[in-house]
Amino acid sequence: MALSAAELSRYQRHLALPELGKTGQELLRAARVLVVGAGGLGSPAALYLAAAGVGRLGLADCDRVELSNLQRQVLFDSGDVGRPKTEAARERLLALNPEIAVHAHALTLRADNVLELFRDYDLVLDGTDRLGTRYVVNDACVLLGKPLVTAAIHRFEGHALTCLPGRGPCYRCLFPAAEAGVVASCAEAGVLGVLPGVLGAIQATEAIKIITGIGEPLVGRLLTYDALEMRFWELPVARRKDCAVCGEHPTITKPEDAEPPCEAATPSSVRRLSPTALRELLASARDRPVPLLIDVREPHEFRTRHLPGARNIPLRDLEPQLRVLAGQGMPVFLCRSGRRSLAACVLAVQAGVAEPAHLEGGLLAWAAEVDAAFEVAAG
Amino acid sequence: MSCTVRIPSPLRSYTGGAVTVAGEGGTVAAVLDDLERRFGGIRFRVVDEQDRIRPHIRLYVNTSEVQALSQPVRSGDTVHVICALSGG
Repeated sequence: MALSAAELSRYQRHLALPELGKTGQELLRAARVLVVGAGGLGSPAALYLAAAGVGRLGLADCDRVELSNLQRQVLFDSGDVGRPKTEAARERLLALNPEIAVHAHALTLRADNVLELFRDYDLVLDGTDRLGTRYVVNDACVLLGKPLVTAAIHRFEGHALTCLPGRGPCYRCLFPAAEAGVVASCAEAGVLGVLPGVLGAIQATEAIKIITGIGEPLVGRLLTYDALEMRFWELPVARRKDCAVCGEHPTITKPEDAEPPCEAATPSSVRRLSPTALRELLASARDRPVPLLIDVREPHEFRTRHLPGARNIPLRDLEPQLRVLAGQGMPVFLCRSGRRSLAACVLAVQAGVAEPAHLEGGLLAWAAEVDAAFEVAAG
Repeated sequence: MSCTVRIPSPLRSYTGGAVTVAGEGGTVAAVLDDLERRFGGIRFRVVDEQDRIRPHIRLYVNTSEVQALSQPVRSGDTVHVICALSGG
């Protein structure tokens, strides 16, 4: 079907590019692109793909919009706080371009639903904030032969890579495995709000190039970006013959769920303390060595309220200090929900701390079970 | 032999936030040892107990991927330490 008068007008600047033209615009209209993760990366990527006229745009995300998202997730506005992301995003994208179809998939990607979801799309953009999901997405794309444009961010740094099955390396060729709990998330480490704008726009650019068959895709080249230095670097990535999913003898022949982050990498020597157990430990400390309370939350969270005697070392600053801590008695790591404290334990074990402990459920659990007056700051 | 080592974002807590640091050594192994002397603990985040490059880390000397820590490093080279990022 030929482009309508409205479409000819809307996409005039594309049509003026000989590399795209009407044929390219019709290819975009016929394309089906899935954006995994409607977050920092997914926001600009989806906005640009919608504006570009990708005919069917899918968004997969199970989260709701939070106020802390708005610093970088430009798909949403203040009125969207509390709404399912996919629902709010769908409205925003259709308002931007009513000529396209937007499909909201409010789900958690898992091994048992990923193939069915991906089958309906031609190309996948990965902007998830969960490391385990990156492997589920990659493996499904390899198994289905779907192009994948992946990107990731941390503080001021970003990576991007395009994976064309059979034509170049996949994400597992880049990083065969990741040690969960060691690679910090943006929630813990922070992220410059505009950083995912740069990387998400690169993902959208790659998607448009692949769909329309123009230019040279970012295949076999890892693009790294550092906002502080304002430098891009390009580093070669080769296919691995021993890649578990796209190598010569693949061992992954169907998607597999990653174990929950942190839990997968938790050494058995980590002690988990319930709020009650911690209270008893502190009460009996007169007769025994004093447990070393290390609160790994951010300083602003610590300032709101902390346990008496706790020392504040944010998770991002913890590693260099662990060797010193190793000789100072049993550290008990604390955080808001127990996630960061568990990651701290993993790091502590790796640094030689014999039996680190953490407060399971975090200070939220402490407030619920031990001290209802204990105010826990938002993360 | 003086080279420039680019530190990935997740490991900059070891280098006081520095994006790049100077490194000394004629091989990747020697450069990592040099970093360890000044930024204790960083080496173990890059390689494991058997001196294998960790699966979520990639090392490059300029644009050549490091396969073995014995790979030479020459004066003026840039050693890139790349770490998997999880944020989206």
